[in-house]
Amino acid sequence: MRWALKRSGANVAPWWEQLCVAGLWGGLLALERRAFLQAMFSRPLVAATGMGFLLGDLQTGLFVGLLLELFHLGGAALGAALPDHDTLAATTASAAAVLMAPDGDASPAMWSLSVLLCGGGGGVGRLLERGLERHTSRLARLAQRSAEEGELRRAMRQNLWGMWSLFSAFAVVTMLGAGLGLLLARPVAALPDPLLNGLALAYPAMLSVSAACAAKGSRARQAGYWAGLGGLLVALWMVARRLSEGT
Amino acid sequence: MSAGQMLPAGLSRGVLVRVFLRSLFLQAGWNPLGMQNLGMAYALYPALRALYPEGPALKAAVQRHLAFFNTHPYVAGAILGGALFHESRIAHGEEDASSVVAFKAALMGPLAALGDGFFWLSLKPAVGALSAGLVPLIGAWSVLLYLVLYNVVHLGLRARLYWLGLTRGDALVEEVARVRLPQRGALLRNLAAGCAGGLAVWAAFLLGAQQGGAQSGPLLTAGCLLLGALAYRALGWRVTRYGALYLSAGLAILAGALI
Repeated sequence: MRWALKRSGANVAPWWEQLCVAGLWGGLLALERRAFLQAMFSRPLVAATGMGFLLGDLQTGLFVGLLLELFHLGGAALGAALPDHDTLAATTASAAAVLMAPDGDASPAMWSLSVLLCGGGGGVGRLLERGLERHTSRLARLAQRSAEEGELRRAMRQNLWGMWSLFSAFAVVTMLGAGLGLLLARPVAALPDPLLNGLALAYPAMLSVSAACAAKGSRARQAGYWAGLGGLLVALWMVARRLSEGT
Repeated sequence: MSAGQMLPAGLSRGVLVRVFLRSLFLQAGWNPLGMQNLGMAYALYPALRALYPEGPALKAAVQRHLAFFNTHPYVAGAILGGALFHESRIAHGEEDASSVVAFKAALMGPLAALGDGFFWLSLKPAVGALSAGLVPLIGAWSVLLYLVLYNVVHLGLRARLYWLGLTRGDALVEEVARVRLPQRGALLRNLAAGCAGGLAVWAAFLLGAQQGGAQSGPLLTAGCLLLGALAYRALGWRVTRYGALYLSAGLAILAGALI
């Protein structure tokens, strides 16, 4: 059985197959995030890597997910408040990045471009989830009415009906994000070298900022101190490694 | 006393497992009116059917659990277990129906605060930052590590809290307090911040080595570190995360065009 779509060679998966796989993964993760289990399959690092794997470019998914994981690390659904939909940002950005490179692996410039274009998808996802609450409110009223009328099984079923709208809405939006990647494949290939070079530099720059967001979002009492300590340890390790490679 | 004797009377192990599995759908019908009320009633339904005969008693029991309910989805297992503990006693005439309503109302707020503080604000950032920090070393295996580390704690505590609710009823509060989740949460938050700092340094070194070459490499590394430090400070001055992200990308694109 073939688990991932082929990205290069003679048998590249057709565009509609790629969009369907992206949409299915996006819809399932939207369910996992909100309606079922919440076992963190929907976190950006996992969601984007999974998307990369399914579309045939694991590395792109991993690095897009890494950046967005750090950027959204402090987000949390507390009470009725909704944070940015980091899952939608991750699935659309990773799908767009993979599909921007039709004949092989996406470059860091494409990772940056897809994050810049789809990173704001978190806000769109939050609005979408808020909008879908009208549907679940209707289902809740229907469940109350059914229970009053003694139709208890019908009342209980309403809990699961809300998942269809959630799945469908997020599957469609993820497909749109993936479609954006397909549409941009040619224009991106024609970008001038200085701009591509700049976009490639933008990835580590955004990763640094995302790490700062993560340190801030950790809510540690002395986050700056702990982040500095972590940075110092990594710097010492990297210098030691360079020195040992030199000798 | 064996474990089997401590379980609520009238409920088989099969029913209890079904309730636990259905509790994984607690938020499927989340709505602003009753929040997790649909999920709560849906999860408890097999047990209520086992405890009450078809008719007014079952209908009243279902309606009790269609009332407003909201807590952290992981710690809801404790309330579900406790609700079954009380429902079993209500069905056998040992308690008044209001006891289960009072039990849920008393616990959902404090347990939500406990769950939010430990799972959402401590465990999730810590495991996320640790796994992200290990990407340079173990690549995509860090994703698997993320899922295993998180879910060993998540599913373990979820099942344990359900069991405590089932067997201890109101006394579960003391057991939950003994786990000392807030203290563990503080340690996890420090770990998250430390991993984020480490990853920022790694990203800066990577940039210098891969993009800059021998001459401009150290300059780019220093620039990247400065950007991270400035972003950390700026986030405290009402600069939004998105603003910092897009500004850093703009600066990098400009630098790329000039170098």
